[in-house]
Amino acid sequence: MQPSDQPVVQANKLVKSYPRGSEIVHAVVDIDVEIQQGEYVAIVGASGSGKTTLLQLLGGMDRPTSGTISIAGKEISKLSDRELTRLRREQLGFVFQHFGLLSTLTVAENVALPAILNHKPNHSRVDELLERTGIIHRRNHRPSELSGGEMQRVAIARALINEPKLLLADEPTGNLDSATSERILELIGELNKDGLTIVVVTHNEKLAQCAHRIIQLSDGRIVNTA
Amino acid sequence: MIKIILKNLWRRPIRTGLTLVGLSLSAALMTCLLSFGQAYESAIRTDLDRMGMQMMLVPLGCPYDGAARALKGRTLDSSLPESALIIAQKDPAVSLAAPVYTAAIPRKGEKRTDMWVGLDDATIKMHSWWKFTPGSHGFDGPNSVILGSEAAATELRKPGDRLYSPETNRDFMVAGVLERSGTSDDSLFFIPLKTAQQMFGEPGRLTAISIRLKDPSPPEIAATAARLQKIPGAQVTTLTEMLGVFLNLIASAKTLVMAITVVALVVSLFSVFNTIMANVIERTRELAVMRAIGMSKLGLFNAMLMESVVVSVSGALCGILLAATGGGWMERAVHPYLPLAPSEGLQSVTLNAALSATTMIMLAGICAGLYPAWVASRLHPSAALRLDI
Ligand SMILES: Nc1ncnc2c1ncn2[C@@H]1O[C@H](COP(=O)(O)OP(=O)(O)OP(=O)(O)O)[C@@H](O)[C@H]1O
Ligand SMILES: [Mg+2]
Repeated sequence: MQPSDQPVVQANKLVKSYPRGSEIVHAVVDIDVEIQQGEYVAIVGASGSGKTTLLQLLGGMDRPTSGTISIAGKEISKLSDRELTRLRREQLGFVFQHFGLLSTLTVAENVALPAILNHKPNHSRVDELLERTGIIHRRNHRPSELSGGEMQRVAIARALINEPKLLLADEPTGNLDSATSERILELIGELNKDGLTIVVVTHNEKLAQCAHRIIQLSDGRIVNTA
Repeated sequence: MIKIILKNLWRRPIRTGLTLVGLSLSAALMTCLLSFGQAYESAIRTDLDRMGMQMMLVPLGCPYDGAARALKGRTLDSSLPESALIIAQKDPAVSLAAPVYTAAIPRKGEKRTDMWVGLDDATIKMHSWWKFTPGSHGFDGPNSVILGSEAAATELRKPGDRLYSPETNRDFMVAGVLERSGTSDDSLFFIPLKTAQQMFGEPGRLTAISIRLKDPSPPEIAATAARLQKIPGAQVTTLTEMLGVFLNLIASAKTLVMAITVVALVVSLFSVFNTIMANVIERTRELAVMRAIGMSKLGLFNAMLMESVVVSVSGALCGILLAATGGGWMERAVHPYLPLAPSEGLQSVTLNAALSATTMIMLAGICAGLYPAWVASRLHPSAALRLDI
């Protein structure tokens, strides 16, 4: 076990560039961040400023062009795809703007999926999480039968099933109306109060205000932290 | 995991269903053709084996055709002298030499040809598989006739009845009627050898002589065949040669079968490929999400491959069911055209054929699934955040 004062994510001089035609786009440039246990961090910035790219790097979904990043104490450049996949599965939870639920599975099956992938299916925990996210009455429905807010609750329950250290969300309220968004914000706030570390990419002012810390990006660089 | 795979396939019931129909048709075709080839081979072997003979003496000419005709109770254009029989009987290695004289009576009025077969006691002894209906007995005079079951049915005769043959102006007593055997025996009219030779004006001539050896070992067969070959006007065909020729005759058919099978396989391969590829493309985002939330490259690859295996194996199983239930018509369709059609039913699907068809289709399914599975496994987890709605 790592000591609890060790940051959940520690990144140094992160650079991520994409080739676009003949030129190279620097989506993220020279970023240093540390995210502590229990923190609630919002990443904001104009469209194209590199928010999603940064979140991908923090979430071990992609590798930086240069720089180093440790997630849950592991330096990811040293990990194989298999190990990195395992790290995502066991230590991280993801919430997407488009919810990312599997349309053929029921709510309960969607929530159970990461646990099944982890070879540790746990039915009582599925129900516990559905209870927690307030969607238990829909457990046997298909995603297509749910509203956007309900789908996002399911997605959050799924992100929590393997008891992650860190929850990463890219515009979790991007597809929701303001009332529903607020409900989701409350839920995320509660999760953080219960000790979960959270990083959210958002355009939503309110969501950003709830966070302990706001990282503002512009052209791939951090311009402000508050 | 299997449940997820099944649900994914079920999501497009029509697409999956059509693929399954295509697969099961090609599986049915393959199973039928394979079973048929195998059953045909083994049925011919049994047919020839149970005669308990190792060679035949036939008139000079095409030996195989001669043997086939004699076995099927058809006439030959030429015949053997009876002296050949005496030489054969005297040969020390021969335990039984059974002559037949076969002739055809065309029945223009009824649009068929009756086959009359003259036999002697030795021949009857060799026909050990004959089963008489109740009330039957063997020949009891020159004018007795034994009827095959179909012949008895067309002539409406039972043992003890009289039978008049207008074409040859002869009167017979029905001594016996054979049980239905499913062989060519069923349609034949059996009479004593001498009577047959007289009736058709060829006294002292024979159509063929079946030979049973005391010792049916291969060297013995070869040695005896060489000796009997010297009989003037006759030639020897061993059973092995006959079998070889019949199997050669169907070998060309087998090539066709193989060609059809390959086409069927390729068609299945394409339909599985299409289905799985379409599934991958359609589900790109879901698959990327799976990668992001913790499915490994290999895991995703296997899951997609498994999808194609599930589709192809279920298609193959449906096809085998189809073949088992609907394959009968095929046998009935081809039976009359086969050389020496075996008496045993061929329609039954052999386990062997079912297994080979399943294996081949499954392998085709795996091949077809490889590329889509590879495409799926190359999806980057970060695509889960990139793809717009
Ligand atoms: N896979 C890629 N290939 C090429 N360029 C990319 C790729 N992903 C991102 N980019 C570019 O990198 C830059 C940052 O993109 P990113 O998606 O991180 O921005 P964002 O802040 O999330 O924007 P938005 O608010 O619109 O989601 C953009 O210029 C984008 O076009
Ligand atoms: Mg973005």
